[in-house]
Amino acid sequence: MKLLRTLTLMFAAVVVLGGLAWAEFRFPMPEFESGYEYPEMHTPPPGRTNDLWDVVLLTCALGLAAWFVLKRRSRPAVLGLTVCSLAYFGFWREGCVCPVGSIQNVAEGVLGLEVVSIAVVCFFLLPLVFALFFGRVFCAAVCPLGALQEVVAVRPVILPRAVDGVLGIVPYLYLGLTILAVATGSGYLICQYDPFVGFFRFGASLNMFLAGGVLLVTGLFIGRPYCRFLCPYGVLLGWMSRFSKWHASITPRECIQCRLCEEACPYGAINVPTPDKAPLTAKEGARKLGVILALAPVIVALGACTGLLSHTMLARIHPTVQLAQRIAGEEAGRYQGMTIESEAFRAGVQTKEELYAEAHAVRADFKWKSAVFGGFLGLVLAAMLASLSMAGRRDDYETDRQACVSCARCFPYCPVEKDEGAVAEQKT
Amino acid sequence: MRVPLQNRRPEFVPDQAKWRIASAVAAVAGLFTLVLASLLIINYLQIRATDPLDHPELLKLREQLAAASEPDEALVEQIRTLDLLVRKAFFTSQAQLRLGGRLLLAGAIVFVVAIRLAARWNPKTPAPEGAPDRMGYWRTLAQSRELLTGVAIVLVLATLAAAYLTPLGIPAPVVQEEAGEGAAETDTVSGAPASAVPSWEDMLIQWPSFRGPGGYGVAHFTTAPVNWDLQAGEGIRWNVEAPQGSFNSPVVWGARLFLSGATKELREVYCYDTETGQLLWRQALPAFAGTPETPPKVSEDTGYAAPTMAVHGDRAFAIYATADIACFDFEGRLLWGRNLGVPENHYGHASSLIAFGDKVYVQLDDSKQPRLLALDAATGEDVWSAGRKKISWASPACAPTPFGFQLLLASELDVDGYEPETGTLLWTQEGLDGEVAPSPTISGDVVFVGNEYAMATAVRLSGSTEAVQSEIIWQWEESLPEVASPTSSDDYFYIATSLGEIICLDKNTGEEVWLHEFDQGFYSSPIRVGDRIYVADLQGTMQIFGTGQEFALIAALDLGEPVYATPAYLDGRMYVRTESRLMCIEADAAN
Repeated sequence: MKLLRTLTLMFAAVVVLGGLAWAEFRFPMPEFESGYEYPEMHTPPPGRTNDLWDVVLLTCALGLAAWFVLKRRSRPAVLGLTVCSLAYFGFWREGCVCPVGSIQNVAEGVLGLEVVSIAVVCFFLLPLVFALFFGRVFCAAVCPLGALQEVVAVRPVILPRAVDGVLGIVPYLYLGLTILAVATGSGYLICQYDPFVGFFRFGASLNMFLAGGVLLVTGLFIGRPYCRFLCPYGVLLGWMSRFSKWHASITPRECIQCRLCEEACPYGAINVPTPDKAPLTAKEGARKLGVILALAPVIVALGACTGLLSHTMLARIHPTVQLAQRIAGEEAGRYQGMTIESEAFRAGVQTKEELYAEAHAVRADFKWKSAVFGGFLGLVLAAMLASLSMAGRRDDYETDRQACVSCARCFPYCPVEKDEGAVAEQKT
Repeated sequence: MRVPLQNRRPEFVPDQAKWRIASAVAAVAGLFTLVLASLLIINYLQIRATDPLDHPELLKLREQLAAASEPDEALVEQIRTLDLLVRKAFFTSQAQLRLGGRLLLAGAIVFVVAIRLAARWNPKTPAPEGAPDRMGYWRTLAQSRELLTGVAIVLVLATLAAAYLTPLGIPAPVVQEEAGEGAAETDTVSGAPASAVPSWEDMLIQWPSFRGPGGYGVAHFTTAPVNWDLQAGEGIRWNVEAPQGSFNSPVVWGARLFLSGATKELREVYCYDTETGQLLWRQALPAFAGTPETPPKVSEDTGYAAPTMAVHGDRAFAIYATADIACFDFEGRLLWGRNLGVPENHYGHASSLIAFGDKVYVQLDDSKQPRLLALDAATGEDVWSAGRKKISWASPACAPTPFGFQLLLASELDVDGYEPETGTLLWTQEGLDGEVAPSPTISGDVVFVGNEYAMATAVRLSGSTEAVQSEIIWQWEESLPEVASPTSSDDYFYIATSLGEIICLDKNTGEEVWLHEFDQGFYSSPIRVGDRIYVADLQGTMQIFGTGQEFALIAALDLGEPVYATPAYLDGRMYVRTESRLMCIEADAAN
């Protein structure tokens, strides 16, 4: 075990250091002063495959994943599909189109800012539809981001439930920020900060590699950190999966309460049976819940106020504001030298004053949108608090439908799965 | 309690032999990737540090080539060879990086597979211990609630603190845009209707700019007081504290007197009631787009608000060392404001504003791009811009000449006349030198300028309105002004120097008519009021003398403090800014 730990740590170092080595390098443009004419740029046609083909493949992969999880109940099959998805959607398609990022396109379409292609809409909807029927089978074996983390999750530990629950608010934050960024024209945050796309494409900025490396190293010990504590699409999938018609269960038949699966899920997605006796009476519990529900509008309002007051800070995600800050900083002597962006700006026709005015207009645009964002987070907080105050009755060990990524890790832990003789023996 | 079943699934069956093999493969693959990653990092850092265009040896050779007096073909060939080598090395390193990246990926894949298999053949068998902690369920829920609430509170506080502590740091946009957003609602007027454009006759009976109407040092009224006693309060209508640290002069329109003041952080406009001296309002300027966070360096005796304001009809204009220009109405509402681009000017921007017709003129003397700007007085928008050859610290005059109104400007090199409506340069004469602070004056068709350590020059204008001719008619090189601007009468020009001399020169010949030496020097500019000339010295004495052929002192009256600003002279009144006071002196007034 000691050797294994050493090797694991070694791999961690390799991931981070290797990431550094792949960081993108920009060759400085030669300075021709002899009248040299730059050759005309030719952009190759986009895409190596037809988008429709990707949609078909996605549908097939989702169908297979659902079949492997719900019918075959086969962890090796799920893992095999995971590797195939990683190879195709990750390394071959270089992580694009991806349902996680499609949130942004769809949000733009809904807000009337952009026309969204059918393929992107399909990529956005198909995993959700499958989640509504079969649970998060997309996360299980199709998502390349999840797949990369799944394969490196060698010895994951189980986080305390309370910590797991609290960190679960971060994806909502990321989702809200993503929509805010789209609504204000700040760009695609999910794509800009996709931590794994650098590995898929063999090239990215140093920061992206570092972020991806840190997540993969974390993923060795804490299963799927991006999926659980960052992924904004996981929020939507979780909502769908919560009401899924069919969902992966730990045991194919009756739970025998053997407790073998208690530590099977490194993602904290197994709910234990609830105690027979509650510490509060039904009346006391209802009163407590009533207080939280009554406070919900206050929490939402507080969130909205915080968002409103923070709109200037939030506006910094917009590239225009970032550029204006850089230029103002350079003008005031806070920065030495120029960035590529500030150099390009200074070579252009726009004046500083126009840029500053544009940045302030962007900031104004953030005002009420930030308030809505804050209100959304307040609502999420209130809902989470209310959810933690509602005790559902549960007699057996069950998967948490919202959190479970249908990875099938828990299946081998259940003795009921194939050992019916043993079950019968135990029952007698 | 049920006893856990013995799990017989293959996933939990250990195999020591296979585990050892998998572990060994993982170790080899891990080491391989680690070494490869280290090499790649070194390669990456080398590439990053090496810019083939700036290779030291190459630069050295290039310098040699540049220094060579004759073409050295061997050296050129050497440069070419080295250049090729350096570029080849660069691109080879990049190719190695790409290849290494793929090998690294392969190594990582082998490592992950091996380590997974190792884990598979050395499994952790599930074996729950003890009785299930059923009540722990409630505890977990309670902990989650508390933790969530705590984290939410910390997040909100951290967000608010971060929002408060990290200002945007971008100069604010022009006022019109902010006003649309609702900011500064009480003090800002957006799209205010343009007021009636004051005529020259309207301007003559006011003190609308530095050195009076037209800014050439001649008052329209002839009734300025000639007798007062500051200590006894005789002749002093009011005497109030003036804004500190600024040297600009008062401007007056109707019942309102304006001054500006500024520090490093703040730029303000002050409005006083001319009847009582009461400060009616003071308004700070917001930051405009381009307003620097750190103001430009200025000399101590220039300050951040050296330029005198201009007042025109119902609007007052102020400009500062930052080149923030703002327009207020008489109620203190900001009508428009903008930053014109911080001028590079080693003493600090000092040229005063002047308004005429529907425009306000700015002599924006940036050492890299000196220019004269005409802004729309109603909106602040650019109307025209005319380039200047050199900078100065003088102020523009807008004076009536026999050939129409002209903007008269002095620079370190010349004196120029511009057409106010279009900015056309009508004439220019090189008759100045050094660092010019005194502004021009005019008498009839003769424009007069002068500067210490250089010369004073008189330029006669001729020709027609359409084609103005100019000619230097004489120059004077003895006692010259350093700061104070000259004034004029029908026959003479008057110079006040920093050494305390007053020189009267014949307008047509340049001959010295008389010279009188006072004990104190003059920074405040002399103003002709009818047949008297008023000039306050650096000790705070107002010297009043006649404009005649002989020097005739009429009065020397105490103002209490040194005077740097030029007073405003109106019908029977004089508004004086001393070092720390602002006062109104009026014939027959008692405090």
